[in-house]
Amino acid sequence: MTNSFTDYKNSDVFLMIGANPAENHPQVMRFAGIAAAKRGAKIIVVDPRFTKTAAKADIYAPIRPGTDIAFLYGIMNYAIENNLYFHDYVVNYTNASFLVSPEYGFSDGLFTGLTEKDGNFSYDTKTWQYQTDGANIKKDPTLQDPQCVFQILKRHVSRYDIKTVCNITGTPEDVYRKVCELYCSTGKPDKAGNLLYAMGITQHTYGGQNVRATAMLQLLLGNIGIAGGGVNAQRGESNVQGSTDQAMLYHYIPGYNPCPDVNTPTLKDYIEKQVPKTSYWSNRNKFIISMLKAWFGDKATAENDFCYGWLPKHTGKDHSHMAIFQAMAEGKIKGFFAWGQNPAVGGPLASRTRDALAKLDWMVGVDLFETETVSFWKRPGVNPADIKTEVFLLPTAMSYEKEGTVANSSRWIQWRWKAVEPPGEAKSDLWIADRIFKAIRKEYQAGGKFTDPILNMVWDYDVPGHDEPDIMKVGREMNGYLVADGSLLDSFAKLKEDGSTACGVWIYAGYMFVDPALKVPACQRRSREDKTGLGLFPKWSFAWPANRRIVYNRCSADPAGKPWDPAKTLVAWDGTQWITNDVPDFGFKDANTGAFIPPNISASNCFIMNTEGVGRLFAPTGMKDGPLPEHYEPIESPVKNLISKQQNNPVAARYKGDFAKVAHTASPEFPYIATTHRLVEHYQSGAVTRNCPTLAEFMPEMFATISPGLAKKLGVKPGDLIVVSTVRGEITCKANVLPIVKPLKVNGSEIEIVGLPWHWGYQGLAPGSTANDLTPFVGDPNTMIPEYKAFLCNVKKASGH
Amino acid sequence: MSKGVLVDVTRCIGCKSCAVSCKTWNDLPSKTSTFTNNWDSPGKVTADAWTIITSFVIEQGDQIKWRFVKRQCMHCNEPACESACFTHSFVKTKEGAVIYKPTELKQDYCVGCRYCMIACPFGIPSFQWDKAFPYVQKCRFCYDRMKEQGLQPACVTSCPTQTLLFGDRDKLLKEAWDRINRDQRYVKHVYGEKEYGGTSWLYISDVPFDKIGFRTEAYGKPVSQKSIPSYTWDVLKWTPYIFFGWGAILTAMRAYTKRRAQVHDESELYEPEKKG
Repeated sequence: MTNSFTDYKNSDVFLMIGANPAENHPQVMRFAGIAAAKRGAKIIVVDPRFTKTAAKADIYAPIRPGTDIAFLYGIMNYAIENNLYFHDYVVNYTNASFLVSPEYGFSDGLFTGLTEKDGNFSYDTKTWQYQTDGANIKKDPTLQDPQCVFQILKRHVSRYDIKTVCNITGTPEDVYRKVCELYCSTGKPDKAGNLLYAMGITQHTYGGQNVRATAMLQLLLGNIGIAGGGVNAQRGESNVQGSTDQAMLYHYIPGYNPCPDVNTPTLKDYIEKQVPKTSYWSNRNKFIISMLKAWFGDKATAENDFCYGWLPKHTGKDHSHMAIFQAMAEGKIKGFFAWGQNPAVGGPLASRTRDALAKLDWMVGVDLFETETVSFWKRPGVNPADIKTEVFLLPTAMSYEKEGTVANSSRWIQWRWKAVEPPGEAKSDLWIADRIFKAIRKEYQAGGKFTDPILNMVWDYDVPGHDEPDIMKVGREMNGYLVADGSLLDSFAKLKEDGSTACGVWIYAGYMFVDPALKVPACQRRSREDKTGLGLFPKWSFAWPANRRIVYNRCSADPAGKPWDPAKTLVAWDGTQWITNDVPDFGFKDANTGAFIPPNISASNCFIMNTEGVGRLFAPTGMKDGPLPEHYEPIESPVKNLISKQQNNPVAARYKGDFAKVAHTASPEFPYIATTHRLVEHYQSGAVTRNCPTLAEFMPEMFATISPGLAKKLGVKPGDLIVVSTVRGEITCKANVLPIVKPLKVNGSEIEIVGLPWHWGYQGLAPGSTANDLTPFVGDPNTMIPEYKAFLCNVKKASGH
Repeated sequence: MSKGVLVDVTRCIGCKSCAVSCKTWNDLPSKTSTFTNNWDSPGKVTADAWTIITSFVIEQGDQIKWRFVKRQCMHCNEPACESACFTHSFVKTKEGAVIYKPTELKQDYCVGCRYCMIACPFGIPSFQWDKAFPYVQKCRFCYDRMKEQGLQPACVTSCPTQTLLFGDRDKLLKEAWDRINRDQRYVKHVYGEKEYGGTSWLYISDVPFDKIGFRTEAYGKPVSQKSIPSYTWDVLKWTPYIFFGWGAILTAMRAYTKRRAQVHDESELYEPEKKG
């Protein structure tokens, strides 16, 4: 996220949309509570269910699952129509004034450039580009030119008036109007609006565009880069921030650098294609070369392209979770490591996922418990003798049984010390990875295809006399060092493209650097010093990048460098120098001379990661499904799209065969909207928490929440067994009857919502049926995230009960 | 200095960290439970769950309120359990905790009569029905942490939202009324200030207490502001008078009847035999 949990105390209004922090991120409520108590902050919660978070809201706005873009656009339209947006911020710090190609167009739900090839749709982004005059982008600071971003946005969102929005979202109009009024009150220099989101925003076939919409709203109200503001993604699990930083994604390499692909076979190609002329990414060549030096050491030289040729090259094909399981089901994958993951419960269409596992020759589970995934071969209803997959389970240490860092949503990389020894034969993940790598290398020493990268990889984490590899050595490699003397780098600004620096993950540069005052690596710092009182805590652990607590912080001050709100100064220009309460996210000092750079330079380059230097209300590049978000219906929807003829995202990710099953629009067999969610007692697929006796006692059984009205109609009492079915299958669970879900009025008709927690499976102390047996196998085209949050179902009383 | 905890119901998010840390600190086992419609299994305090979160979904027209209420021993100023126990197994300490001597001080005179369970107006003490040598169990206010280590109770330290405030009871009462007077959402009442003679645990809330599981009436009347032992005292204070009074009366009667019997005996002795 852009800000941090400890910064939430500076917010004036919270917009929590598609997030349920009271259950999933309880510490959020601590800081939101402080803001409420100390500043009188107000909380708006937007959710299909009246959640435990909604119980703490000043305004609760119910929303139909999958209609967030309409909801957010309605607020933007309200801000523009009523002149409540932050004009000076928008003009200076966003691309509002930029002129877009006259070829750009949008009609009836589709942007220009949609092309079809073999039944698959994709966008050509040529018409979405800026108008240029030589190297310069054409602009109209008066925001009047009909082709300027502001006018395009204004036209685009003008269709989302309050009545239309509420017809789509099912939110009562009076409630929605209050949301617009309250949230737009943060479009002032001294007010901070904090937008929190989580999986309720991302898990849709247009999840990426949902996130874009949150960012656009925040830009429009001038809420990015300021204390108490930001677009704050509450990450879905502990250290998922760390794992994405390390590129546990198929299209990235560490530090959010694009994966080398078949179009960039040489380092020269990669640099030409992936290193832009402007923005901080113009240093990407330094990041990549330093990474190659960290990986291949002395073997990486300027003459051999720093061994770039040894990196695997992406073919551009889909290798996301869903694509992998489709390939597995087709018998194209022989072996599989389920390392700390439980797709037999957590993946979409989990029942088919379990079937796919049987097509493997071998599977290795690395986990704390015997999860549903590693025990798929003996699950209820199958004969173990019929399953040929050889399954290994490596017991691993829990996070408190090993040392290392965990990166939280605030981007804080925090060292965690070992509290207890792991039980039995359980080993740390590092120990397991280390032994596997060494075993593989041993095999390759006997020869094989393409042995170089394996045989020449730097792998020197052993400590003589110790069984456990030295995690500090791994950390130092990630942090980066001078090749000449091995001294650790304090910043990625020191990285070079000549091979004199090595750095595994450029954004982590400095996290292991020893703090000169506290004498510990930065990530081990635990000082509560907070001179500004803003909750920045600069000496508590290390926040990437560069220990910056609030990113885009140049935007907290006006173009002349005067803070919009002096009470919350992050950076300020006093006429001769910069006051830097937070680490500046802009060029403020000349690297060579040490002289301060005056504010007018950074004012036009306040979003240093964007090539145009400003925030994008309109995205010419980066999104596969449009330069602007547009409301589409979830793939399974009870209604036709009210805003255009285009029912679904035309480029949504879809799969074949068994995995293609979806209910058609307004299906009479599946009249209710289902949405999955989590509970405070359990975590993810429940692999750990359903094995914790206390947590199993506090939340023992799978259930589905239905409204009292629906329960009455079905003749169901609380605790009765019910069958929830979709076009893909059915599950049986207890009926939870509470008015925390209520039917929503969508375009005149009432539609029931069904809430399904997804924590249960057939293993553990508290087994139960798996909600993901019902979820659709479709996803967002940018992120490939599945659409867990909106699909159609039916509910019946279980027979015999 | 008698300690207490102020529970601000408006701040609780129902995360159950308090309930988990209670079990962890006190090494309490977990039992198989079943689904509850309000998401608050096991639903009531038990011998193995000394602190629990109860949940209440309250509908007011179109509006919903969902409140989460931590329940545990209230640690009465004058505990009914203490007065009901003829082995004196419960004691109110000067620190405020009501402790059970058999487990806390290893002074085991408890005979398992369970009068304490009947006496408690909050239904807190729970019996270990599944043990061969059972004890009565309840929240002990983390007496060991408080007394020996100077720590706050485990539940208080684990609360992320400052729902629980630990301190001197009189200061907490002042804080409670400060909050109530500052913010009109609150019900103008501190539960535990006066109920049953006052308790160490105090609650403030924005919904009426009878809607969130608190006993506000007994036998059709507001719950007593007098402690349960004081009711007993109302009766028991006559004990010496009754003891000695009855003693005197009975002695006198005994003397009288004995004398009369002697007179009878004598008359019988000397009465001529009846024939017939």
